[in-house]
Amino acid sequence: MDILNLAWKNLWRNRRRTLITLAALSFSLMLIQAFHNLSYGVYSAMIDSGVRAGSGHLVVYHQGYLESRDELLTFRPGDLVQRIEQLAGVQAVLPRLYLPGLAQSSRESRGILLTGVVPEAEKKVNPFLRRLPDSEWLDSLDGREAILGSRLMKELQLKPGNKFVVTMQHRSGELVSEMFRVHGVVKTGIKNVDKSLLMVGRDRAAALAGATGTVHELAIVLDKQSDGLQVYPQLLNLVQSDPLLVGLTWEQAMPNLYNAIRLDYASQKFIFVIMMLIVTIGVVNTMLMSVMERFREFGVILAVGASAMRLRLLVVIEALLLGSVSMVIGTCLGSLATWYLQAVGIDMRTFISGTLEFGGVVFDPVLRADWDTGWMLMISFYLLVLALLAAVYPAIKAGRISPAAAMRHH
Amino acid sequence: MALIELQSVTKIYPLGNQEVVAVKDFSLTIDAGEFCVLAGPSGSGKTTLLNLIGCLDQPTSGDVWLDGQNITQAEQKTLADIRLNKIGFIFQSYNLIPVLTAAENAEFTLMLMGIEKNQRRNRVRQLFAELGLGGLENRKPSDLSGGQQQRVAIARAMAAQPAVILADEPTASLDSQASEELLELMKRLNEEQGATFVFSSHDPLVISHAKRVVRLLDGRLVSDQ
Repeated sequence: MDILNLAWKNLWRNRRRTLITLAALSFSLMLIQAFHNLSYGVYSAMIDSGVRAGSGHLVVYHQGYLESRDELLTFRPGDLVQRIEQLAGVQAVLPRLYLPGLAQSSRESRGILLTGVVPEAEKKVNPFLRRLPDSEWLDSLDGREAILGSRLMKELQLKPGNKFVVTMQHRSGELVSEMFRVHGVVKTGIKNVDKSLLMVGRDRAAALAGATGTVHELAIVLDKQSDGLQVYPQLLNLVQSDPLLVGLTWEQAMPNLYNAIRLDYASQKFIFVIMMLIVTIGVVNTMLMSVMERFREFGVILAVGASAMRLRLLVVIEALLLGSVSMVIGTCLGSLATWYLQAVGIDMRTFISGTLEFGGVVFDPVLRADWDTGWMLMISFYLLVLALLAAVYPAIKAGRISPAAAMRHH
Repeated sequence: MALIELQSVTKIYPLGNQEVVAVKDFSLTIDAGEFCVLAGPSGSGKTTLLNLIGCLDQPTSGDVWLDGQNITQAEQKTLADIRLNKIGFIFQSYNLIPVLTAAENAEFTLMLMGIEKNQRRNRVRQLFAELGLGGLENRKPSDLSGGQQQRVAIARAMAAQPAVILADEPTASLDSQASEELLELMKRLNEEQGATFVFSSHDPLVISHAKRVVRLLDGRLVSDQ
């Protein structure tokens, strides 16, 4: 028998109360871990979808382009594409041109954003383009085939195979026009994208605008989002040789998506904090009740020679054991819940019809969790710390007991 | 040399806006090996005196000496050390720790002293044999009779071989047969092992077994025989 053994036995004096407290702590931990992992999975999927269809995990722009979207701010990538492709963790480098213009069919005209892409590289990574059959995808860099957003095609009253004209301003200041043919249709589910997307081979777009050999953006897609930490400094090294270029992360390049996720997660964190506070109050109550009930017994323990410090330690160890057991049970339950949410997920189609769009990104209607083990361990540790903090006041109270007064207590 | 010495001790407790004088100008000397009873009716100051001798409380005035050490103004930490190393307590209602077994209760003070597990077990086994508790080591207090619980309390008090054992009304919760057995047992421990016992009691049976009876009334010494 030692103090740990005594603390463990004390914990089970009031079995029902201890079980209720354990359940409250464990279920809170399970809920927090499971919901965090669900959010983590959903955010990861959104980021993946967003960066693949958008500006990549990392991106290179001409200085000032991100802020102004001035189509004159292009740059010649030279061998930068090949050098970035050689970095470990880089899956693809996508050179793109973005040119505002006007698309005209025989019946309608609409403002568009003509995107010049490298077809082969783009199809491998863009989740929306991957759904297109090969026969509808762009054949070459300088062909006259075009991929249109579904809404744009509808508004222009076009059908696959129809011709239409794109007009834009040449660098010389002249208005230039070029005829394209509808080759494929893309439906991203994002209203703004579907009504303005017009994708053609990069060389054709560059020639039309008089910007041959230049790009607005080098979107870099990584194997894993976490690779960004290693690749980004290397990218900055490559880019710094040209003072006109900047290398950015997806958080900087897509602030809408980043801020939407941050805001959403902040509200969740607030709920997590409230949950933790509520269970901490529960632990304080349990520990305090347990101390008050043993007032006379603590007097006896002090009388037979225990110091006040040892009595405080006993109370703290009881809380430590309560926290540790909750930590283990809660993490096991949290892991089971995460496993279920990852394998089965939550099908939002039952609750919401139509496309799910958040922060300018469309995400899978089946929400799936992903493991964030580091965070799970961290929150378990926080729970343990809270259980210990909850024991501070009861422990102080136990240490202040006067043995003579406690012996008179009935 | 005296084991316990009280010099003009007064203890006053605050009670609301009033003060209660529990012990007034009390002096007493108890030597090692004595079997002494503090006798008197309820409220005569017996328990207060035991608390003062047992370092559970400190006097309002006067001095208390234990084993040559003045404990009157000692700090709480020092008092806890003295209680652990020099004093054994036996209480009226046994006050065993309900979640521990009889053997674990008995070795509790040894655990506080940091004595190694095997040594503790051996000491408790020996004490249980002496106190007629053999075979009850793994019983919880709730599974023991009052007399058995009080014997476990004696084992706890004696485990660390203290200089003095203080017993506050030790037979108050026992029937006459169990009281008689318990007193015989303590007397034997006093005679065979030289353990010093100081009781508080108003039970004539306890008083009849004592070698020295100190009578109190209203916190004052009435007689010392």
